[in-house]
Amino acid sequence: MNQIYPSPTFQVESIPALEIHHLDKSFTVAGRELKVLAGVDLSVKIGEFVTIVGASGCGKSTLLRLILGLDLDYSGDILVDGEHVRRPGLDRSIVFQDHRLLPWLTVEGNVAAALRRSSLSRAAKKETVREHLELVGLTSFSKAYPAHLSGGMAQRVAIARALVNRPRFLLLDEPLGALDALTRLKLQDELKRIVQREGTTALLVTHDVDEAVHLGHRIVVMQPHPGRIATILSIPEQARQDRSSHEFIRLRDKVLGLLAVGAGACQTKERTVA
Amino acid sequence: MTLTVSADPPAERRLTKGLPVWTDIAYGISLPLALLLAWGLSSRFGWPPEQILPAPQVVWATIVELWSDGSLAEHTLQSLRRVAIGFAIGVPPGLIIGAALGLLPRVRAFIWPVFTAVAQVNMLAWLPLLVLFVGIDEELKYVSIAWSTAIPVILATTRSIADVSPKLVELGRVLDFTPLQRVSTIVLPAALPSLFTGLREGLAAAWQSLVIVELFASFEGLGYLMTWGRQLFQLELVIVAMLVIAAIGLLLNASLQYLERFVQPWKTEDPHGS
Repeated sequence: MNQIYPSPTFQVESIPALEIHHLDKSFTVAGRELKVLAGVDLSVKIGEFVTIVGASGCGKSTLLRLILGLDLDYSGDILVDGEHVRRPGLDRSIVFQDHRLLPWLTVEGNVAAALRRSSLSRAAKKETVREHLELVGLTSFSKAYPAHLSGGMAQRVAIARALVNRPRFLLLDEPLGALDALTRLKLQDELKRIVQREGTTALLVTHDVDEAVHLGHRIVVMQPHPGRIATILSIPEQARQDRSSHEFIRLRDKVLGLLAVGAGACQTKERTVA
Repeated sequence: MTLTVSADPPAERRLTKGLPVWTDIAYGISLPLALLLAWGLSSRFGWPPEQILPAPQVVWATIVELWSDGSLAEHTLQSLRRVAIGFAIGVPPGLIIGAALGLLPRVRAFIWPVFTAVAQVNMLAWLPLLVLFVGIDEELKYVSIAWSTAIPVILATTRSIADVSPKLVELGRVLDFTPLQRVSTIVLPAALPSLFTGLREGLAAAWQSLVIVELFASFEGLGYLMTWGRQLFQLELVIVAMLVIAAIGLLLNASLQYLERFVQPWKTEDPHGS
């Protein structure tokens, strides 16, 4: 970033892509208030890839829903490009764990569906759909229906759909969680390449610590009950580049250690309940 | 980049797909043939007596006779015309009311209790009241057929909208769809299979009430043929009318099924439905 924008004034003027202050969120379950997120503070710079890891129930997916603007019932502030989030918008897009393709639309149609609210001309829409299918390597499947795709291919279509509006912010909710190990490894590299190429700011939620270290510039470790940020670690460039590097393994073990503490706390809690 | 396509369809689909068309037809025809044989045998041995259950050859002779003097075609066309008009009157309001009940919670809260109460009462029970309002001429037939068509159509339409996957509805919010886009791109295609079930149920109900109203007040039509046959104690007439109604019902049902497949091209690989 500094190399691209050496002027110090830009640094002052630039606002973070995402700013979260003192975010609290609770659900009412069977008349009782259940706190899912407590005191979350997070700031993500433009072009940054931030990954979030944590055990189930630490409110990771809820956090993404709030950033999308699907749920406005929370306290604290969520700012995207300096503006409060009030509703869903095309500046933010998401890839879910289930691909959520519409079965009645072809691959092409599913990607194009994300452009229904776009102001592009018909020809420009067609062109950008084509470009994004090429980006995920599915040009020859553009007329296929989702039922005929493998899980990995369907998820590629979902990624193309999420990027086709050139969003400022790409949210990824365990996008590779349902895939087999081999496809997952392959798609991790592709995801990294694609996000880098599009220059999108990205926020990825995952269970997979290796994935979090490999993809992110920074890694947010969360703990459950209620969901809160335990720590935020910078990922050294060597760790991102090479999965077998010292830095990668050291950081992965550190994160796993942090999560194991969380899991242990969780277990004792369950034991006392039982 | 190499792509892996999973070639295995789900197991249940493979099972049904393996059946060639002629096997399907042979299976479908074997039960009616067995029943016909049992009918022939039982009448040959005089059980039950011929006045109660006429022999198949007597029924066949009646069909030939009624066909050659043109009265069978006349009665059938008359009944078909009534069903067609009643069904055509009943379907549009059924779809509109059902869609309103499914899409607009306020309308549902307002109308649902009354509608449920009305739907509980069989059309037969409404007949005496209907006669007071519309008389016993053709209008009575149209109104009662339309009525019994509309009720299953309303129920199925409401249900089909309620059953649309909330995950896909959420996708519509993420993509910032307008309400109209949500309905046309997500709700309507998702609801189509249940909508068609509703139309088929509506058609079956239309035929049932046709017979009832024609028994009640009519001088032509298949229902009248049945009444006439019963009064003259010519049960072969009753059976002929029953057979024609069943055959036409089967045919109409099949054509609706064909139409259903035609408007859902994404299901063409799976002709037996899910």
